[in-house]
Amino acid sequence: MNFIGDALVIGLTEHAPLVLAAMGFFLIYRLTGLINVAYSETVTLGAYFGMWLNTSFGYDFYTVLVPAGLMAGLLSVGTYFVVFRPAKRRDVGVLELIIISLGLSVFLRHALQFAFGYPVRYFDVPPPTTIDVLGVGVGSFRLLAFGIVIVLALSLYWFIQRTRLGLQIRALASDEDLAEVSGVRPLLVTVLIWFLAGVAGGMAGAFYGVASSVAPLLGWRQFLLILLVVLVGGARSIGGVIVTGLVTGVALAGMSLQLGQVLYAQLILIVAFIAILKVRGNQFADTVKV
Amino acid sequence: MNLNWLDAFLISGLFFVMMIIGLALLLHLQLGLAKIANFGVVGFWGIGMYAFGVLYVKFDWPFADPWAFLVSVLFGTVVAGLAGLLVGWIIADLDTDGVLVGTLGFATVVAILATTEQDLTGGALGMGGLRFPYDVGSVKGNEALWLLVLTAVVALILYYVHRVHRVPYGRLLIGLGDNEPLARSLGKATFRTKLWLFVLSSAGMGLLGSLFAVKERFLAPEHIGIDITIAAMVGLVLGGTTRVWGAVVGVFLAVGLFDIVVQSYLPLPREWYTQGIPVFREMVFGAVLVAVLLFRPSGVLGDMRRDKLMRRLHGE
Repeated sequence: MNFIGDALVIGLTEHAPLVLAAMGFFLIYRLTGLINVAYSETVTLGAYFGMWLNTSFGYDFYTVLVPAGLMAGLLSVGTYFVVFRPAKRRDVGVLELIIISLGLSVFLRHALQFAFGYPVRYFDVPPPTTIDVLGVGVGSFRLLAFGIVIVLALSLYWFIQRTRLGLQIRALASDEDLAEVSGVRPLLVTVLIWFLAGVAGGMAGAFYGVASSVAPLLGWRQFLLILLVVLVGGARSIGGVIVTGLVTGVALAGMSLQLGQVLYAQLILIVAFIAILKVRGNQFADTVKV
Repeated sequence: MNLNWLDAFLISGLFFVMMIIGLALLLHLQLGLAKIANFGVVGFWGIGMYAFGVLYVKFDWPFADPWAFLVSVLFGTVVAGLAGLLVGWIIADLDTDGVLVGTLGFATVVAILATTEQDLTGGALGMGGLRFPYDVGSVKGNEALWLLVLTAVVALILYYVHRVHRVPYGRLLIGLGDNEPLARSLGKATFRTKLWLFVLSSAGMGLLGSLFAVKERFLAPEHIGIDITIAAMVGLVLGGTTRVWGAVVGVFLAVGLFDIVVQSYLPLPREWYTQGIPVFREMVFGAVLVAVLLFRPSGVLGDMRRDKLMRRLHGE
């Protein structure tokens, strides 16, 4: 019982940003068919923007969370207009698009070091107060992260599934021509998708950053896990991503506790996810490609 | 032999360029011909490097060095080939997204194992004890000779790739990349072809990894980062993914510019070399990948040249 409780609490709070990051990645992947490797830099830069607002202007973490997310959202839209929209107009293939996004990811990851400096940076925040949850001490930022992630995840879910704009997003994803004939404005909706994805990624990055440190590899370290969660969990809907993300977090925490080594937990998870993909096949690859 | 004219930086730079050319040539078979994007090149290279190093250093060899050394190199090559068999089997029937996950995941697994298995690999601290299998008297002489060995291996790979373009097997790979269902309906064993392609090219990458370990004389997890994959991919894409000489030209243009020209010949302030230039180099590599694929997808050398028969058929 104790072990299960520990794994649940640690897994849900420590890996909550994973759910948020995976949802943002899912939006772009499911709705535009693109594996955007540079999404990991949206996450990284969300952390950097938050850290910059926090250390340069002295705002506290709660204040910088929203502007950091918005800036990451604008960055995400910017990458769409500068790189991915021209690429789509030139009819670049799926494989080449992944390599392009990898190139953009490498470019951003190193360019940001000229803007923010080489050394690892930290948020300037008071040490979080520890709150006792089911006998496990959890830092207040992590608990807050869990709360905000759940709220954001549910509102994003509601937005996609229940609102008119969400309906347009889904319409565009399943049949671009039909959606356009029905009065959906593709550019507006696509920009909205990239913006929402960027906001989700940026906020996830800020949570990752405040929990440990802000470094150029912050997003890239999470990228494989995000990719696996989305490919395995996102076959049906965004709800699957949320559930898979939460289960992944708990599984990581539980295995880390059992094995005493975080890396082994990651290793087992990577192997398990790839095995699932191999057995199931990547079914939803050609269901929706905008 | 007098080697004063040869700068130690130049040897290192040339060695690195040669090795990346080798990797890019093997990647050309996968990415350029069969259109399988291997994002885990460094994983195959790294597993060969570690398999060689661990066997060579940790095993109690009953016979003398050249043989112990050769068996270890063979072991590294075979292990990388087997890894290629496994990864090839996993990704052979997945789409591009699945290939990305499989190859990237494999590279991550290798990096994790290199860190966790401390008894074997020395963990994050790394492992020393590697040396050249000969001694010609000076460090520089040893390194220069090793550069020649690597150049010979890369030349062999180049010759092999050159041959592949001119035999039925190469046309099968191209057909596989262009239209796999068609190749399959014509009676070609596409699954087995992909497996063999991965076994052979991964074994080659493992061999290059073993050779690199000897030059470096030290194994550490920070050697097997994504930058190796990026360097090979940038060189190949810049030169032209579908051309035999694309990898050679592209790697000289991209990696050669930074690792030979900037390292050895440009009079830049010393402190730039520690952080500024490596970061700038990766930044430029990323930008080159994006720009080339957007504006000139066929690279510097341009589109694929077919052999005489194919050119006549296509009416050129």
